[in-house]
Amino acid sequence: MKIICLIKFIPDVDNFTYDYEKNVLVRENVKLILNPEDACALAFALRIKVKNPETFVEIVSMAPQSTIPLIEDLLRRGVDKATLISDKHYVGSDTYVTSKIIAKYLREEEYDFILTGSHSLDGDTAHIPSQIAEVLQISQLSNIVKVYEESLGNDSVIVQVDCEKALSKYEMELPCVLSIGKESKYKLPFVKYKDLELNVRDRISVITNEELEFLQDEVGIEGSLTKVNRTFAKKLHKKEIKVVRNDEVGIEVVYKFLKDKGFV
Amino acid sequence: MNRSLIYFDEEDFQNSIDLLEVVNQIYKDSEYETYAICFNHNDGVIDGKFDYLITIQNEEIKNYDVQNITNCIEELHHTYDFDSIFIPATYLGRMLAPRVAMRLKVGLVADVTAIEHNNGVVEMVRPAFSGKILAGIVNRNCKTIMMSVRPNVFVYTTNSLKKTEKIHFKPTTVKPSKIRLLETKDKEKVQDIRECEVLVSGGGGVIDDFKHIKLLADELSGVVAASRRVVDSGIASRNIQVGQSGKTVSPKLYIALGIYGSLQHIEGLKNVENIISVNTNKDAPICSLADIVVEGDAIEFVDKLVAKIKSKK
Repeated sequence: MKIICLIKFIPDVDNFTYDYEKNVLVRENVKLILNPEDACALAFALRIKVKNPETFVEIVSMAPQSTIPLIEDLLRRGVDKATLISDKHYVGSDTYVTSKIIAKYLREEEYDFILTGSHSLDGDTAHIPSQIAEVLQISQLSNIVKVYEESLGNDSVIVQVDCEKALSKYEMELPCVLSIGKESKYKLPFVKYKDLELNVRDRISVITNEELEFLQDEVGIEGSLTKVNRTFAKKLHKKEIKVVRNDEVGIEVVYKFLKDKGFV
Repeated sequence: MNRSLIYFDEEDFQNSIDLLEVVNQIYKDSEYETYAICFNHNDGVIDGKFDYLITIQNEEIKNYDVQNITNCIEELHHTYDFDSIFIPATYLGRMLAPRVAMRLKVGLVADVTAIEHNNGVVEMVRPAFSGKILAGIVNRNCKTIMMSVRPNVFVYTTNSLKKTEKIHFKPTTVKPSKIRLLETKDKEKVQDIRECEVLVSGGGGVIDDFKHIKLLADELSGVVAASRRVVDSGIASRNIQVGQSGKTVSPKLYIALGIYGSLQHIEGLKNVENIISVNTNKDAPICSLADIVVEGDAIEFVDKLVAKIKSKK
């Protein structure tokens, strides 16, 4: 069985800052982490591999080459192959173009199914998994909380999804895109001590536009159908804090506040 | 004449109707027509709100079969050539919108929270990076604009009724489905503190009588939450813990009772609209975030406020 897992490294959103004077994100020294739901998805793939050692797990990521050390870390956890799609012409691509690029690579590959996270913490559009499935003309479901491993056959797989109001079980034709949600609680294995320094470089293949052959105006900012016109910070209005005592006057102030805001 | 299509999610009437407000804000005074597309349902709630109601009756198209729904919308678009397409960001909508956008080769903006007009261009505003910044996004290289919109962001109100014209559309592109629903069960209604609008949260200051704070939570139709100190002492369960090692919450009202407000606790409060802090120490860090600080004993405060609310009913 071959599983392809799409992954993305994202800036650790909780630990970066916004320069309110210059109106830009401070990206220097921002640590990159594997998008948490992508980690769940990859963890599921590796779990299958532990049970069926003949399973081949490939990760695919579109990212700058500076992510190679992070990719190496995943290879040391048991991933068989990593494909890094990286080309300076791809910089600035929106989700439409990004999906086109990744799908063009996938179209030439063989796989039983594709795993992704449901959404990424940075952009949080959740577009890529559905858009790639659309290009490949296969089905896709988001927020999968459980894949019934025993159901994985040649033709189909059964999954459980959390569709907000209900928990539903679906049977999907293979190949398909399974987008895993964080509630699945699949956890990445650690790197084994003996593998900490393992040389995995030969398992990384870098794909550029030389292989994918897009015209320049089809990709990057030029090929995109949406453009960030401007970014701005949320208006920070300094709150006025009212300090009262725990007496009749104070309770009246609290009550009026709750009343005005519609809480009582 | 601008034509706008709204995907009508049968699981979420109100949010589908509220998308009319987005259309309104985009076209303002220029002329436009609104189309609703409904699959295998025909809801009276649409009457008078849209100019056209397009229904597709075909039992082969299940409400989860995003591929076939996309096929139908593509066919519709070829017929009507929409200028804008709106999809509510429901569970299904969030999978449908990207598919349709890809098929129609149209730019898509997710989770739009505001519409701005900037030098004659429509700017779709959405939060990015966990809501740390807002991005104004414009369409390029394509005529049609398309977006998904989260629930409760826009509210549509009108007094004028439209003459809703009904169109029965018969798609020709329905294919055998690649997906099948086996079973579905409604989720048990365990209240998740991340989804509550009102949280009454207790910390070290109420540790001796933690159960008492529920009185206030009940009165405000809210839910009880706790700080790490309370959870670590075994009085409350981990699933109601607010903070870095607990849950990140965004209620409309957060009442912090006897909570000091260490950094890890404050990390768990994101986009909380209103905070009331009750503490014997009015300089506790949590108080700097509050709208109102009540200086005093939190349990006493619970009794007094509950009595006050009851007396006003």
